[in-house]
Amino acid sequence: MMTSQLPIVVAALVFPGGVFALALGLALKGADRRFAARLQGRVGPPLAQPFFDVVKLGFKRTMAPDVACAPVFFGAPLVGAVSMLLAMTLVPIAGVYAPGPIGGDLLVLIYLLAVPGVALMLAGSSSGSPYGAIGFSREMAMMLAYEGPIVLIVAAVGLRVGLATGQGPTFSLSAIVAYQQAHGALLFDPVMWPAVVAFAFFYPANLGIVPFDIPEAETEVLEGPLLEYSGRPLALFKVMSALKAVVVLGLGVALFMPLPFSGIVGLIGWLAQLLALALVGVTAVRVGAGRMRIDQAFVFFLKWPLALALVSVLAAAYFSAGVAP
Amino acid sequence: MLDHLSIAMASPTTLAAVGAIVLLLGEIAALLSLPNLAWTFAISTVAELGYVLIGLGVGGPAGDTGALMHLGYQAAMRGLVLTAGWHLVRRTGSANLNVLAGSGPRMPVAATLFGFGVFSVMGLSPFKGSFSKFIILYAAIEQGQWLVAFAGTLATIVAAVYYILVVQKICLEPAARPVELAPAPRAPLAIAWPLTALTVLISLWPAPFLLFAARLAGFAGGEGVPQFETPWATPVLVPYIGGFTVYLIGRVSAQGRDVAAVLLGVATVAVVALDGGLDPASRLFALLFSGVCCLMIVYSIGYIGRAASANRYYFFAFLMTGSLIGVATAHELGNFYLFWELMTWTSYFLVIHEQTPKALRAGLVYFLMCAAGAYLMNFGILLTHAEIGSFELAAIADKASVIPPLAGAAIVPCLFVGFAVKMGLVPLQSWLPLAHPEAPSSISGPLSGVLTKAGLLGMVKVLYVAFGASALARYAVSGLDANTVLMSLGCLTLIYGEIRALFERELKRMLAFSTIAQIGEIAAVLGIGTALASDAALLHVTNHAMMKTLLFYAAGAFILRTGGKRIEDLAGLGRAMPLTAGAYALASFAIMGLPPFSGFVSKFFMIYAAAMGGHVEVAALMLLGGIIGVIYYTRVVSFLFYYPYKGEGVREAPVPMLVAMGVLAAAILVGGFAPGWQLNLIAQVGDLAALRGALASGPLPGLVADWPAGATIAIVGAVAVALVGRTSAVWAGRLAVATLVAALGGVIAQSGRYDRLSFCFAVLIAAVGALNMLHSTAYLADSHRQGRFFAAFTVMIAGLIGMTQAKDIFSFFAFWELMSSWALWAAICHEETAAARREGFKYFIFNTVGASFMFLGLAMIAARAGTFEFAALGAALRGLPPAIVAPGVVLVFLGLVMKAAMLPVRIDYQMHPALAPTPVSGYISAVLLKSGPWGVLKLFVVFGGATLFSKLGGEVNGQPVILTVISIIAAVTILYAGAMAAIQNGVKLLLIYSTVCQLGYVLLGVSLGTTLGVAGGLMHFVNHMMLKDAMFLVAGAVMVKSHATMLDELGGLGRRMPFTFGVFLLSGLSLAGVPPLNGFSSKWLIYYAAFQSGHWALAVAAMIGSLLTLAAVMKFAHAAFMGPPTAHALAAEEAPAAMLIPMGALAAASVVFGLFPGLLLVPIAAIERELGFVPIAASLLGPLPGLEGWSPLLLTALTAMFAILLLPWLRLGRGAEVVRSSVHLCGVVDIAAEEMRPGTARLYETPDAILRRALFAPERAAKREEA
Repeated sequence: MMTSQLPIVVAALVFPGGVFALALGLALKGADRRFAARLQGRVGPPLAQPFFDVVKLGFKRTMAPDVACAPVFFGAPLVGAVSMLLAMTLVPIAGVYAPGPIGGDLLVLIYLLAVPGVALMLAGSSSGSPYGAIGFSREMAMMLAYEGPIVLIVAAVGLRVGLATGQGPTFSLSAIVAYQQAHGALLFDPVMWPAVVAFAFFYPANLGIVPFDIPEAETEVLEGPLLEYSGRPLALFKVMSALKAVVVLGLGVALFMPLPFSGIVGLIGWLAQLLALALVGVTAVRVGAGRMRIDQAFVFFLKWPLALALVSVLAAAYFSAGVAP
Repeated sequence: MLDHLSIAMASPTTLAAVGAIVLLLGEIAALLSLPNLAWTFAISTVAELGYVLIGLGVGGPAGDTGALMHLGYQAAMRGLVLTAGWHLVRRTGSANLNVLAGSGPRMPVAATLFGFGVFSVMGLSPFKGSFSKFIILYAAIEQGQWLVAFAGTLATIVAAVYYILVVQKICLEPAARPVELAPAPRAPLAIAWPLTALTVLISLWPAPFLLFAARLAGFAGGEGVPQFETPWATPVLVPYIGGFTVYLIGRVSAQGRDVAAVLLGVATVAVVALDGGLDPASRLFALLFSGVCCLMIVYSIGYIGRAASANRYYFFAFLMTGSLIGVATAHELGNFYLFWELMTWTSYFLVIHEQTPKALRAGLVYFLMCAAGAYLMNFGILLTHAEIGSFELAAIADKASVIPPLAGAAIVPCLFVGFAVKMGLVPLQSWLPLAHPEAPSSISGPLSGVLTKAGLLGMVKVLYVAFGASALARYAVSGLDANTVLMSLGCLTLIYGEIRALFERELKRMLAFSTIAQIGEIAAVLGIGTALASDAALLHVTNHAMMKTLLFYAAGAFILRTGGKRIEDLAGLGRAMPLTAGAYALASFAIMGLPPFSGFVSKFFMIYAAAMGGHVEVAALMLLGGIIGVIYYTRVVSFLFYYPYKGEGVREAPVPMLVAMGVLAAAILVGGFAPGWQLNLIAQVGDLAALRGALASGPLPGLVADWPAGATIAIVGAVAVALVGRTSAVWAGRLAVATLVAALGGVIAQSGRYDRLSFCFAVLIAAVGALNMLHSTAYLADSHRQGRFFAAFTVMIAGLIGMTQAKDIFSFFAFWELMSSWALWAAICHEETAAARREGFKYFIFNTVGASFMFLGLAMIAARAGTFEFAALGAALRGLPPAIVAPGVVLVFLGLVMKAAMLPVRIDYQMHPALAPTPVSGYISAVLLKSGPWGVLKLFVVFGGATLFSKLGGEVNGQPVILTVISIIAAVTILYAGAMAAIQNGVKLLLIYSTVCQLGYVLLGVSLGTTLGVAGGLMHFVNHMMLKDAMFLVAGAVMVKSHATMLDELGGLGRRMPFTFGVFLLSGLSLAGVPPLNGFSSKWLIYYAAFQSGHWALAVAAMIGSLLTLAAVMKFAHAAFMGPPTAHALAAEEAPAAMLIPMGALAAASVVFGLFPGLLLVPIAAIERELGFVPIAASLLGPLPGLEGWSPLLLTALTAMFAILLLPWLRLGRGAEVVRSSVHLCGVVDIAAEEMRPGTARLYETPDAILRRALFAPERAAKREEA
């Protein structure tokens, strides 16, 4: 198995984080917009449109409300974007890249994944805008809603892999990927099916796309936390959002369906998986669905994804011992 | 002649029986004839002949001699009564008692003669009218005519009722209505005077008359008649002669009298102290009695002053002192009984000293009950003599084993009742709450403090030392021996007293009921009947004497100065009379059993002795009583210090009173810090009792707390701070900070003294304490009486430091109590508002309850292991079967879990201290509550670690059940408190709930009991200390600058207090577990540890709990710091340096620990090694260890790298300049800033509603059921 051990700085700056992740994220965003347009019968923007947007924003004036708490207002997008660049160094690409031993594990990753949410909350809150405050409030509600399921999903995977191999629960991303490469993807493991379904609900909420784009609902709260942003800070938020899509989809792949290839084939396979997920799982969903209300979404998450993930955890905890010694 | 008489009757027995019937019925008839004085005394005189008949009937030397003597004595004494009475009736013109009332003031001479005569007839000891009665009763007993003797005793009691009624009415009461006095007849007084002289003569020297009567009866030499008295000892004579001396001097000069009184009081103590011939029991009680009475004299100089009645007062006061010493020093029952009666009689006059109707009524009940008890006791004494032929206690000790059980079974209850009345043991307590409040306060003190102890003295000296426990056991009737009865009645008395005191609104009555409770406590412990128990009871006897006397004396000073007797009248008096109120508070804390005062030592000892004696139920009952005691004692102290002062112009108590109180206070302190001398005295008595009772007498346990340097520095500093605070708040604050820095030095200097865990905790305690103290100097800059607060805070820290360094159970618990009881309460109540008082009180009670569980557990464990030393304890426990150790261990851990504020005994529920000064709230949350997890870990090891725990509760999946239960409790608490924090809107309430939540993490980690878990728990222990304290200090800065307590009042502070906000955001996000900050590192370890231990559900709960913390932190940040500023925020500015420095220091420490977790983990690894765990593999600058360890330093470095790359682009260069604009409002222009903010309560609308539904569903269901 060829997984390259890249120096962490390279991983962060070039591949799979940094330049690579940025390009991938913006490209996926472009593909998403293009595909959505096609589904709606429009031509749509060029694939590079997200790049243009970011560059353009870099030349725009930076505005900030007079009641904003400036250090937080400007710090939030920075922290949000950086957290995702860091998170990218933790996302394994089957057969291509495995995170280093002291970079962090699955638990660190899912907590890093919460940072953009926190950044958005702080952004909305610090702007001083009432729409920002509402956005903040909704973001927090959503986080409370989806964080339970993802914790349980992670626990289910950790227990399944760890107990099946006869060790304690493991949260090493490399170990999880390696296990699946050896014993088949968890996507095909009936014990994990509920968790997979729960994950299918988790990621649109985490990425803030329809039907769970409630915090930034443009038609309701005028993009909420982002309303007062302009220029480079807004560009950073756009980058953050693009990177987050890569991280979350990459996490999904790593958790449930890493490919048993390596090298260039593995990388291409991984990119294909991501693209397919983005188009089918993100674009199609957001075009095809309407937005939920925050109370509906909150209750929904407390009911279904949570219950599904719990089923997987229980199953993993009690039926895993010695499955794959 | 007598022979003829005897022959004339059908049989001697019948004659005696007839005599008894005449006597009993006669006395009853006399009583019923009231209020006609003439009839009463006529019938009474006839009834008295019954005694003569009894004497003749039973015959024998004693009977015949007694009968003749009685005839003669009664002729003289009754003659006196009748002639003086005749004089009174003639002049008043009526024999009706109600008309005669007030004759004392009208006709002082005749009334005095009359009163003297009545007391003589009654046969009270100083008037030896009783002498002949005793001989007759003795004769009856000797002949086996117990029933007759008993009837005689009963009749005497009945007679006492009307005698004392008559004396009170005629001699002591003021006139009910004006009476026209007839001219004085000459004859009666002319006869009365010689009769008085005769009465005095036969009273003082009865021996020749006895001899004469014996000769007359035909028995030469007086053989067969018991020797009732022996010469008086010097310690008795000094106060007796002193009484007369003082009285005489007083007739000349009041000043001279006062001087003489004090000198004689001191002389009495000296004589007692120098008397080498006393046995230990006598010596102990004589010292106690004379010491307290000496202070009574000193106090009286100020209290009684130069009142007209002062001469009489001092006379009786000295006589009472002498009688008490007499009772204590008597070595035979004759004198013992004599002084016993004298004690009752003299104290009766002191009780009624103020001669108000209430006082007279109280005196009446007091006198009757005690006299009746004494008569019964006398019966028992005579019975004893009849059995063994001697009154000597030593003889009793020798022959107790030969007394037949039947006689013993009659003797012991008689003596018991006599003593029990004096003690105020239920159901014989009713005089006590009447007499104590009505007596002058100078008397109430000794009345409660030492007179009740005379009863205990009797129990110890006569029953336990003379008869001895084994003899008592032999006299048991159907298994009911004196011990069992004493213990049961003691328990009953304890509960009765506490409950009555709880509901009492008058100060002195409350103290009186508290005395009943304390006596009950002592009796219950004494009744346990082991050598250790009697030692413990005796120690409490001495301590209670001093504490209760001081309480009554302080109460007396309040009443003297303000005239108010109700507790409410004391409001704010602490300000006007600081010394008196301070002494009162000190005695209150002591009597609650709190350290560092003497009450704690004896209470600890009693509870330990109870557990040791196998009577855990007694210990539990005492602890329950203690909790009730805390409620009512705290209430009074609260009124003194924490209520606004409304009165005016009240002066401090007079100097003599202050001196007396000061000496008592000093004694209480000495008894708390260095009880060695006291214990030594008591041990001797205990040995004696043990010897007699054939009990094993072991050495006393070490009851001296071991004060380490850090704690000593802090407590000395606290006293200095309190003193300096009276003049300068600023310097008090500086001194307090300096003290804590010095204490930190002391802790570090003694680093070799303790285990590493405790050392690290102690360092943090002192260091964070210094920071919080610095913050509070600024926080309280505009407050009041800061010195008091600083001092209380410092005492609390002294307790914490001492606790960490304790090596034995006694020190551990002493410092535990010092840390969490009165000092903390005082600090919380500082603001003196109703809310602050309520919260402080709740907190106090909560802590007392928790400490009580722990106390009981520790006592049980120590009793089982037979040692106090931690080092030896573990070894001892390992050898015992688990079922025996389990209850104690469980109770201790319950106490610890309560301290750690876990469900279902959460502290937040009891404590909403919005009004406690914030630095102290922060300290409680950040540091003090950590003593829970610290204790769990420390005792876990002391008790023998996992082995013991596994033995106790069994194992599931290789983990001890007890620990698993604690883990589950911790996890549930995390979720519960996290949710509660997320829905709060009060500035501090939110932080307090969050504290409970975070303590859950600490406890979860520690209770997992694995390398990773303990490391994570300890790491979070430190991290939370830094983070939560910083957040509290931020809240303090915000509150003091904005004067807001609710989040809704705040907003927009971020721009006005940027540094404060920065500290909050950093700490808050770290606490919520945002990587790579330090809060996340420790939580990560805990998550991992939980998963690894197979507790994945607990791990998931912990992970979700973080999210709730995030919600709470974000809400706080948003509401307080963001958005347009509110009116409150506009008034605020950045906090002063004294606040910023501690906040900055804590935040900086968090950052450093975040970057280099090794700085914490390396010491933690060492601690783990010491605790017996496999140490976690940590290096100083390395990553977090573990299977998939990661490096916060690496993550931070990468973040910094990106920030350095991106920041210039973001904030520099063309296009980066910021244009400020107003926020976009879709064109609405007329909206106020306040209206633009979503209310804090509505911020998380849906989650909030759902959390509330989940949290309060049980409550709502209960309400629905009620409806």
